[in-house]
Amino acid sequence: MVLKVGFTVNPIAGMGGRVGLKGTDDVFDKAVSLGAKSVAPEKAVETLNEYRSNFSNKKDTIHWFTCSGLMGFDELKKVDAKKIEIVYTSDSAKTSSDDTKKACKIFLEKKVDLILFCGGDGTMRDIFDVVDKKIPVLGIPAGVKMHSGVFGVNTRAVAKMLHEFVNHTLIVGDVDVMDLDEELYRKGEWKVKLFGVAKGIVEPTYIQVGKTVFESVSDDEVKDEIAEHVIDEMNKYNDFLFLMGSGGTIDYIAHKLGVDNTLLGIDAVYNKKLVAKDLNEEGILNLLKKYSKVKIILSPIGAQGFILGRGNLQLSPPVIKKIGLDNIIVVSTPSKLISTPFIRVDTGDKELDRLFVAKEFMMIIIGYRLSRVVHIQTNNF
Amino acid sequence: MNRNATAFLKEEYEDLVNKNLDWKLRTLESASTPHAVVDGKKILMLCSNNYLNLSNHPRLIQAAVDAAKKYGAGSGSVRAIAGTMKLHMDVEKKLAKFKHTESSLIYQTGFAANAGLIPQLAGEGDVIISDELNHGSIIDGVRLCKADRAVYKHRDMGELEKVLKDADKKYRRILIITDGVFSMDGDIAPMDKIVKLANEYGAMTYVDDAHGEGVIGPEGRGIGAHFGIEGKIDVEMGTFSKAYGVVGGLVAGSQDLVNFAYNKSRTWLLSGSHPPAVAGAQFAAIDVLETEPQHVKNLWDNTKYFKKELKSMGFNTGESETPITPVIVGESGKAKELSNSLFAEGIFALPIVFPMVARDKARIRVMMNAGLTKKDLDFALEKFEKLGKKLKIIQ
Repeated sequence: MVLKVGFTVNPIAGMGGRVGLKGTDDVFDKAVSLGAKSVAPEKAVETLNEYRSNFSNKKDTIHWFTCSGLMGFDELKKVDAKKIEIVYTSDSAKTSSDDTKKACKIFLEKKVDLILFCGGDGTMRDIFDVVDKKIPVLGIPAGVKMHSGVFGVNTRAVAKMLHEFVNHTLIVGDVDVMDLDEELYRKGEWKVKLFGVAKGIVEPTYIQVGKTVFESVSDDEVKDEIAEHVIDEMNKYNDFLFLMGSGGTIDYIAHKLGVDNTLLGIDAVYNKKLVAKDLNEEGILNLLKKYSKVKIILSPIGAQGFILGRGNLQLSPPVIKKIGLDNIIVVSTPSKLISTPFIRVDTGDKELDRLFVAKEFMMIIIGYRLSRVVHIQTNNF
Repeated sequence: MNRNATAFLKEEYEDLVNKNLDWKLRTLESASTPHAVVDGKKILMLCSNNYLNLSNHPRLIQAAVDAAKKYGAGSGSVRAIAGTMKLHMDVEKKLAKFKHTESSLIYQTGFAANAGLIPQLAGEGDVIISDELNHGSIIDGVRLCKADRAVYKHRDMGELEKVLKDADKKYRRILIITDGVFSMDGDIAPMDKIVKLANEYGAMTYVDDAHGEGVIGPEGRGIGAHFGIEGKIDVEMGTFSKAYGVVGGLVAGSQDLVNFAYNKSRTWLLSGSHPPAVAGAQFAAIDVLETEPQHVKNLWDNTKYFKKELKSMGFNTGESETPITPVIVGESGKAKELSNSLFAEGIFALPIVFPMVARDKARIRVMMNAGLTKKDLDFALEKFEKLGKKLKIIQ
């Protein structure tokens, strides 16, 4: 079967990196004046070459929908791809985030099976704005910031993932969309936050159903198991307040509970009922005065596996210290742990980070009553 | 409600057939010997678990015949009611002596041992700590109980200690379960270290030594003997269906363990006991191991020769430390192709593919056998070399 893939390159992605800028999102002219060179088209060609020569046996099982010039067509031509259709042409030689968005709108209309893009976190956000969870996205890493879960670790890994998606050995699952928190950045702070949960391609979890027969289990089935486990814990610790962290897995658990959860925020649940929504640090501290027994449910966020310090700054050092490290429950789908074999913390408080690192590892819940060892690292050492 | 109560049987089977995932049974038309007839074709058997070729040993056959003649074809009952024959008790006594443990217990199958005993050893408020590559029958045993489960990385003692440290604070009982010899890669669990850690943290140890019984350790006495820690593993579980050449699960350990299992293990309590012929052959198998060391020696000589030759041809045989010899070829398709080509050339060896093993580690799993002659091995090696070159697995 021929797969329909929307392919777009952000030719200016990554240009800021070598000249010391935090991205090329708003400062393209400055980057060029500092001598920045275009890197994304090269990375895109590298990936396509890997795919065609090492994985697809040069068979043309992909129908490419792409954009004119350096936004996709030139790269596909360079590797001699067949079945290319230009569906979007930019008006300007200097492409912008608007072009990415327009191209994605057409990809949606064409009902592509996958969007393959080359860029960074900024490009991913543009795609996510248009596509949301409607089409899975796979990223070739070429930006300055690549915290989102859509990126393969390098061009070869992306080519391999594409091949495995074409052959149905990888499945669609949740990936986090991360980018710099611009508000904090303007204040001089470099913090990354969670912008949403998109669809990406992930390694399935397998269960043995026959002697040598395994069935792959969907992301949702795994999350069902994790949710069942957490709900059991809530029944067991029925005098505890549970703070629900951000991200797709925890959102799923909350929905199983029948709680209207904030995907990107922190909510509080007591006796399986919502008691507070989208809390800020002050709100959490106020609740901690009222409830003495508290547990937090967290999940690794983004490609680097942060459980604290990305997308949940409300869970500040005073909050974590008050609740206690032993009351942190970390949950994750096994597929997410394949791409993030470590969990990381970056609480902003070095002493607290050291306490985490001293623990060396945490037992992470990966299924119903099922856990495994995952090592802890921090950014600050 | 009007529903088709059995439609799913056909639907689900056909779905498996369409995905090429159905289990295609091959039929043995001869005894399970190194030279056997499978689906009408004479083949060299490289995928049976009959490591020592004892299933065809004259003493085992004679013992089975004698027991059947004297005690009949069946035992008449479950062990717990009226099905415990003196023969069964004799095997258990002999086995405990052979294994250097206080006591032993024979189950109907190895699977029945795991499914019947594991759920009794841990329950709510307990934790079962398991190697990530444990065999399916252990996993099923674990699923049957209410204990929490924690997984550590394959043979990683650092991770095991971390899990123990964490579990020590949280749980009533801790049970560590591992395969002895891992069936896909042929590597051995570091049982001496596992027992040491278990003692430090007050954990129980349970080893499924199905592929180690009769194979590793002096006289093939299994993993306890291999590490010189006989009687120190709380539950040494194994099988009579592989190297011993008969059928049945076995558990060796303390008298307390056996008394406990006699009363609590439901698979044991609720299945009929082995027919006299089976018990007779089991007794003879242990006797042969005690008195004829050549079988274990031949198995290891064959293993060393076969692995050495495969390696010199350029094949990757992985990390195996036992007669399980993986010939790693890479992609799943290639492993299947090699297996089919081998069968056409008269060699029966099965492919093991993803997700049984990693995607790029698909393999042919060769099971060595004490009954193979040098001529047989050279024949097999020649075919492996020829097809390996043809399929560009080796240069």
